[in-house]
Amino acid sequence: MRRELLASKKKETGLSLDPRTKLALLITIALFVLSGGGGAASKQFAPILAAVPLILLLTEKSWKGSVIYFVLYGGSYILQLWALPHLSGLPNFLVVAICGFFMRFVPGIMMGYITVRTTTVSEFVASMKKLHLPEQIIIPMSVIFRFFPTVVEEYNAIGDAMKMRGIRFGGGKASAMLEYRLVPVIMCSVKIGEELNAAALTRGLGGPVKRTNICEIGFHVQDVFFLLLCVVAFAIPIVTMITGR
Amino acid sequence: MIECKKVSFSYPPNETDIGDRKGHGTLRNIDLSINDGDFVLLCGTSGCGKTTLTRLFNGLIPHYYDGKLEGTVMLDGEDMSGLSLFDISKKVGSVFQNPRSQFFNVDTTSEIAFGCENHGLEEAEIRKRVKLVSEQLNLTNLLDRSVFSLSGGEKQKIACGSAAAVEPDVFVLDEPSSNLDAYSIADFRKLLKILKSQGKTIIIAEHRLYYLYDLADRIIYLSDGEIQGDYTLPEFQLIPAAEKAKMGLRPLGLGEFADIEPASLHSGQGIWKLNHFHFAYKKQPETLSLENIELPAGNVTAVIGHNGAGKTTLSRCLCGLEKRCKGILEKDGTSYSSKQRLKLCYMVMQDVNHQLFTESVLEEVLLSMPGKDSDESPENVAKAEAILTEMDLLPYKACHPMGLSGGQKQRVAIASAIASERPVILFDEPTSGLDLFHMRQVADSVKGLADSGKTIVIVTHDPEFILRCCNYVIHLENGRLEENYFLQDTEGRERLFNFFMMEGGGGNQTV
Repeated sequence: MRRELLASKKKETGLSLDPRTKLALLITIALFVLSGGGGAASKQFAPILAAVPLILLLTEKSWKGSVIYFVLYGGSYILQLWALPHLSGLPNFLVVAICGFFMRFVPGIMMGYITVRTTTVSEFVASMKKLHLPEQIIIPMSVIFRFFPTVVEEYNAIGDAMKMRGIRFGGGKASAMLEYRLVPVIMCSVKIGEELNAAALTRGLGGPVKRTNICEIGFHVQDVFFLLLCVVAFAIPIVTMITGR
Repeated sequence: MIECKKVSFSYPPNETDIGDRKGHGTLRNIDLSINDGDFVLLCGTSGCGKTTLTRLFNGLIPHYYDGKLEGTVMLDGEDMSGLSLFDISKKVGSVFQNPRSQFFNVDTTSEIAFGCENHGLEEAEIRKRVKLVSEQLNLTNLLDRSVFSLSGGEKQKIACGSAAAVEPDVFVLDEPSSNLDAYSIADFRKLLKILKSQGKTIIIAEHRLYYLYDLADRIIYLSDGEIQGDYTLPEFQLIPAAEKAKMGLRPLGLGEFADIEPASLHSGQGIWKLNHFHFAYKKQPETLSLENIELPAGNVTAVIGHNGAGKTTLSRCLCGLEKRCKGILEKDGTSYSSKQRLKLCYMVMQDVNHQLFTESVLEEVLLSMPGKDSDESPENVAKAEAILTEMDLLPYKACHPMGLSGGQKQRVAIASAIASERPVILFDEPTSGLDLFHMRQVADSVKGLADSGKTIVIVTHDPEFILRCCNYVIHLENGRLEENYFLQDTEGRERLFNFFMMEGGGGNQTV
């Protein structure tokens, strides 16, 4: 089955957010939920940030994802709030460890998952352009996204060939295994890369003019709302620092 | 207007190149001028230099591929070596052989817009062109799709659309049909017809000639890097079939296949029974649904059908590569599950690069031999060398497989299939992109395998290849069995012809 790094086709459902908003949300969640930075006041704000992936999942009508996410995060939250005071010793430690793990990691992972799944490669490239990154970074990045599924495809085909010839891991042949698998992948990838390069050059890539991009991205009401949320998240620790509470 | 004046070219010598690859693609003393609006077909055997010639026309030589170039190539009166690839790309659009490796974007609309974006056209203008081109070339239903969900034929159409959006005067196509089935080729032909009617200059290098029979104005025949013939279409059609075969060219129409001797049938070797072969991807409808199918053992079976009919899925299930397929293969009362079939069947893949792992041809064959590990005992080496002799590969036994030509690599894969001593050998599209000579060579190898008692199953789109070496046909459509028949009698051959004619395989012409 197909594995892609970023989406290749736009999803019709859900709140469509600008890729930059998603990136901002991802960074905010990583900072204040995953690594728990920002002190006590930010800790109070974390559940609000953790609700963001849930909102996005719900608007996307991804019911299964919403339920799993809600149970994992909400369950841990409730367990920590209600069960913890009544426990001691090993059970207490287990609940703290497991709930802490889920509450920290699940929102970040989910946000990352949503970001890569709902952003198309063209949107991503367009937003990098809007962020004024140089072409020397953007073009290699877009080639990576284009290339990744192809390399996975090659890798799987080679895996099939090995299975058929009865070459498997184990029996002290680990280095041979690596060689059999990697050498053809590298050979095929180099060849594909060379052809891809030639094809792009015959279509004028790398010319002396400024490239245009037809992908439409921009901020809408929903983007403003989520960006404000990010601003608040960053403001809390700053304000607490200034007021010196 | 493109002019070549005394052009010679050779790629830099490469030490890993051996055998057929030496001097591959060299051009000698080419004098040629192509007028605006001409549809020129470049033909000849593999390595004759037709791909090299296309690279001269789109500027990849000398601007991308290194080599020794003499003489000048002029594009509208300007020396192409003085122009940059960017300048050339405004006038010449290119389509390449491999649909997998010419897409820069992952969605079709961006891909069509890609050339225009590179040329820095205004957004509104690009949108207008994408719309115009997709209407003109009938691509509208392919817009806003993921390129990974497209078939090979659809990818080639998008590649043409992407080239056309820049509005070049010249289109250069290098074996665009190599990876396409007959049905996609018929569709692709329509697109070429549209481009021709727009007055574009079209230069196309091809092995398969039949789909271009009424499009080409001029046919240039290359051999050993030299122009050996320059024909108008009526002149070319007058060349007798036998003469064309001698030139290494594929016939222009199915009519010319009628007198191919049928491959001899091997009887009395029993039957492989395929029971309950069903397959579906997770949460997807079934793509394969076969209850009971029989394969004559010791014979060669062709699996035919349109794209998406389930041919490749069947071959993967048969090999045991799809664990989700619970089908059972049975012969003489013994059943083989999918796991057991991994050791029973051997598949020669379409891209043989995927299955060559070792550092020498000999090692490759030894690796496949049954037994605990590929031990290099004298008997095994002798056995391997015997197989290599049979496959015309003995002189290359110490060479790295990756340095060989495509045809030789395929023969290495066949040699390791023989060495595996497995009774069932599958081929996935073994002749796509092969010229007449190499196609016949593969057909002979397949016949040899059948003579030695192997059961062969071949997924293919190549009618001539089927007639040369297969004796049984399984025709799949939508994952189900459409019909199955032997090719020994005229009735069976008639059915085969019917299938390829319905596909628009150019059977309606008599050359």
